[in-house]
Amino acid sequence: MAAVTLRGVRKSFGRFEVIHGVDLDIRDGEFVAFVGPSGCGKSTLLRLIAGLEDLSDGDLSIDGALVNDLPPAKRGIAMVFQSYALYPHMTAYDNMAFGLTLSRTDKRTIEERVRAAARLLQIENLLERKPRDLSGGQRQRVAIGRAIVREPKVFLFDEPLSNLDAALRVQTRMEIAKLKDDLRATMIYVTHDQVEAMTLADRIVVLNAGRVEQVGRPLDLYHRPRNRFVAGFIGSPAMNFLEVVVAAAEGGAVAVGLPGEATLQIPVESASPPVGTRLTLGVRPEHVGVAEDGMPATVLAVERLGGETHCHVTLEDGQRMLVRMEGDIPVGAGDRLCLNLHGETAHLFDDAGQRL
Amino acid sequence: MSGAGARASGLTRQRRRSAWLFLLPMLVVLAAVAGWPLARTVYYSFTDATLATLDAYARVGLDNYLWLMRDPVWWRAVWNTVLFTVVSVSLETALGLVVALTLNAHLPGRGLLRAAVLIPWAIPTVVSAQMWGWMFHDLYGVVNAALLGLGVIAQPQAWTADPHLALPVVIAVDVWKSTPFMALLILAALQMLPQDIYEAARVDGVHPVKVFFRITLPLIRPALMVAVLFRTLDALRVFDLMYVLTGNSRSTMSMSVYARQYLIDFQDVGYGSAAATLLVLILALATVAAITLGRVRFEAGR
Repeated sequence: MAAVTLRGVRKSFGRFEVIHGVDLDIRDGEFVAFVGPSGCGKSTLLRLIAGLEDLSDGDLSIDGALVNDLPPAKRGIAMVFQSYALYPHMTAYDNMAFGLTLSRTDKRTIEERVRAAARLLQIENLLERKPRDLSGGQRQRVAIGRAIVREPKVFLFDEPLSNLDAALRVQTRMEIAKLKDDLRATMIYVTHDQVEAMTLADRIVVLNAGRVEQVGRPLDLYHRPRNRFVAGFIGSPAMNFLEVVVAAAEGGAVAVGLPGEATLQIPVESASPPVGTRLTLGVRPEHVGVAEDGMPATVLAVERLGGETHCHVTLEDGQRMLVRMEGDIPVGAGDRLCLNLHGETAHLFDDAGQRL
Repeated sequence: MSGAGARASGLTRQRRRSAWLFLLPMLVVLAAVAGWPLARTVYYSFTDATLATLDAYARVGLDNYLWLMRDPVWWRAVWNTVLFTVVSVSLETALGLVVALTLNAHLPGRGLLRAAVLIPWAIPTVVSAQMWGWMFHDLYGVVNAALLGLGVIAQPQAWTADPHLALPVVIAVDVWKSTPFMALLILAALQMLPQDIYEAARVDGVHPVKVFFRITLPLIRPALMVAVLFRTLDALRVFDLMYVLTGNSRSTMSMSVYARQYLIDFQDVGYGSAAATLLVLILALATVAAITLGRVRFEAGR
């Protein structure tokens, strides 16, 4: 019921347009993550949905009702801020109850709701403390609790984990995933960390420079990125890109020449480009194999993570690649490797960055 | 220093020595310009010294203080000072808050406005008091002319001479002069407040008036208390404003004006010193009270 719909949403600050017309359908109970690099407009888009910024153009509806001109409190949303935004002079309990005391909810109901949220977040013993006596993770829980007690139709998270240390981030990520199942509310989650988006979201919206690059389920974005931007942004370590030339093209597949004699057949969905066209080949580091025979490469540097080994290599024509190998592989700088690529896991992008 | 110093390492001792060395010039100057005069004032307050016979005097014990306690003019001065302090500091706090909140909003030309607001504070009190004295002049003053022209008053008022009007006029001038100071201190506190909690309040649907009383005011209270303390101490020892606007008039006489009148005009150093010493005592008590009360309220949270 609490679907969120954006139609031609634009936002300008002064003469600068930062959101260039976004159309988006977020279904009831769906967990959607907005990802993108800094300045891509993901936070602005969230603030537009929250009502903290006014739309410059377009329509925004929540739960079927047009909310363009409604103040944040009347939109049925709750927001968790990156900086927690707790009221510093109030206890955790009061922070959570404050919004309710003003909407004339009776005291018993407020108490019940706050206690229930505290139980869910395991902060019952912290309710009498002020924010300055809480750790970062505890503050974040209180901030989430404040959102829960409002019983919103839509939860908005603005980079909620980025102020936490790495270990706590993984733990809180798990808890948000659990919360998603418990609350069954629509959630919109902004992050610059694609791991958070991949692990939490039902669908991911990749934004770049105020435009939607692609919307899809996490593994769809991984396996079938629509363009070079999405291909490079989703996946870690990032995808390798090589300059290649079309050697042959037949129905549904393109053969490109690789550095050092070899060619690679790649299935494509669109019409094949003519022989001689310059294209960009994208291969993920984990999809590069090492074998007895193949594309020759020289190792530049090795990063050993124990469970996996990252090899930076140079190809014969000077282009560089990253190869990710399972386990602790005994290679060193200067070693020569033979690399194997596979057509099914490789992608071709035209000069506009669109995937073929 | 001795006990701890014996156990302290050589380096610590050396640090302490240089700390004292750096402090010494300031301590000497303070003792000379503040400590010595204060001690002499306290000492003279127990004598019958006059300005002409500063070296030949007799100790009279608490006589000066007993006289002071029985003098209705002194009590009038205490009352005037307290009334002046309470009313002017309250008005300055309220107006300062309004000005600070306005300047804190995103207005065009805010920088210019900020600078303009400071002008009354930047003018020396004697100058601004004299300026207001002329404006309030009963015959040639612009205030009378304006109010007569507008039909607010039927005949010219003797603003600074009328016993019922003089103190309100003095308070008004002080409010004009000191509100900018208050506003600036409060503005500094406002600019330290995190902006995100105001967005959280918008999402929570808190009415702007409630935001002010439940969020802004509690958060700037510490800074506000400091500003109020500063102004209170300043107001309790007010002298120049009254002296320039109304001279030694009893209807506006403050404790400082009273002490000066006895010290200089009546040349009664002993009695004047007693008044000055009492003023210092009252100031000290007010400071202690303000700090304690302020802190208690702050710790109580909401």
